[in-house]
Amino acid sequence: MTNEEFLTEMQDVLQTEEDLSMDTVLDGLDEWDSLSVMATMAFLEKSFGVKTTMKDYKDIKTIGDIAKKAGL
Amino acid sequence: MTVSSFNHVCLSGIKTVVPEHFIDIDNEIQYFDNNPKKLARQKKMIGYGRRYITDENTTVTDMAVYAAKKLLEEMQINRSGIESVIFVNQSPDYPEPCDACIAHDKLGLNEECACFSVSLGCSGYVYALWLAHSLIASKAVRNCLILAGDVSTRKIEQTNRKFAPVFGDACSASFLQYTNEEKTASFVLGTRGKGWNKIVMPFGGIRIPHGKDTVSMRVADAAGNEWNGRSAIMKGEDVFNFTMDVAPALLNDTMKAANWRADDVDLFAIHQANKQIVENIVSKAGIPPEKAPVDVFSKYANNSTNSVVTVVCDQTKPLKNVVLCAFGIGLSWGGAALDLSGMYNGGISTYVSPKDKPTREQQIQYWAKYFKGEEE
Repeated sequence: MTNEEFLTEMQDVLQTEEDLSMDTVLDGLDEWDSLSVMATMAFLEKSFGVKTTMKDYKDIKTIGDIAKKAGL
Repeated sequence: MTVSSFNHVCLSGIKTVVPEHFIDIDNEIQYFDNNPKKLARQKKMIGYGRRYITDENTTVTDMAVYAAKKLLEEMQINRSGIESVIFVNQSPDYPEPCDACIAHDKLGLNEECACFSVSLGCSGYVYALWLAHSLIASKAVRNCLILAGDVSTRKIEQTNRKFAPVFGDACSASFLQYTNEEKTASFVLGTRGKGWNKIVMPFGGIRIPHGKDTVSMRVADAAGNEWNGRSAIMKGEDVFNFTMDVAPALLNDTMKAANWRADDVDLFAIHQANKQIVENIVSKAGIPPEKAPVDVFSKYANNSTNSVVTVVCDQTKPLKNVVLCAFGIGLSWGGAALDLSGMYNGGISTYVSPKDKPTREQQIQYWAKYFKGEEE
């Protein structure tokens, strides 16, 4: 998955209309809520085989941090 | 994981009831900052729709007994021949005795009848089925009435948006009996007890009975949801992780126990925790989405113990091979592979509350007299 494809996927995962970049700060998004965290967990596991837990999301601050978890 | 199979047991009828009163999420836009986009986003992601809510004088026993009377009437089964009753729920009428004995009275059953309750929630219906199959296959009894359901909405205030919009009330009755047909049913069950506190009602039992300290307790979480001493709480993210860990494997293990492939299955009735969770389970398990409904959550919400029953009762086509996949409080899980050919599906109907039901005040007065010795 390219970075661009990843960003488009993340828009869908979070159900946000904001333009996302790797530098987008998650806490700055209205849509970054527990629902989005769970959607992100499911997305990482389904698309990249990467399991995350709630604790991981304390250190995840940007979209780029999620991409790093995905191994991009 | 425990795997078992039974022969010669037939789930011959099933019926669900829901309360008269319901709430549609579209009428709760005030909880979404009056922002239609926020509401639409959560509807799409979680599947919020309609949820049915009991009034304050209705219990799980009231509804399940109503469902049982209707089911047995519709199937023309004589109540006096019922040899066992298993009641499974997580919201009993009284701390003691168990609801199964109260239902035995309300249904006017014969005394030659074994009645007991099982304290489980979302996974519980599969456990009750497993027990009923075991009792009938071993010829301990010839038949069994399973009563199941919950009134989860009574455990939380509707203003608590973490818990309230997810749960709806529903109860059911299922009738199982011995059959000369071979009919095989397979079960996969498991427990992760270390997660017992992930879905919990901490007060009101013997460990921490209610006192002034618990009754007056009010705590708000970071999102502003209020919890009181009577609340049940679910750690959603932890339960989500648990679910994604066990439920997809449970579906596949249950098919394996029955020697079925996904092609052989008519319906995967997955516990309707919420739309997001069911969709993720389906995708991870690799089963065909068209055979695994997620819309039942939008129509009835998460019905706790009754959820998988609601999914089956919501089907209009005749069913043969059905996989049930249930998981939740305990933490606990159960999968069942059942041959439902010939089963009577009584569908989902409305529970009609009797007009003369005693109020809370009247009931307390009654019990006060009872303690005094003025009532028998």
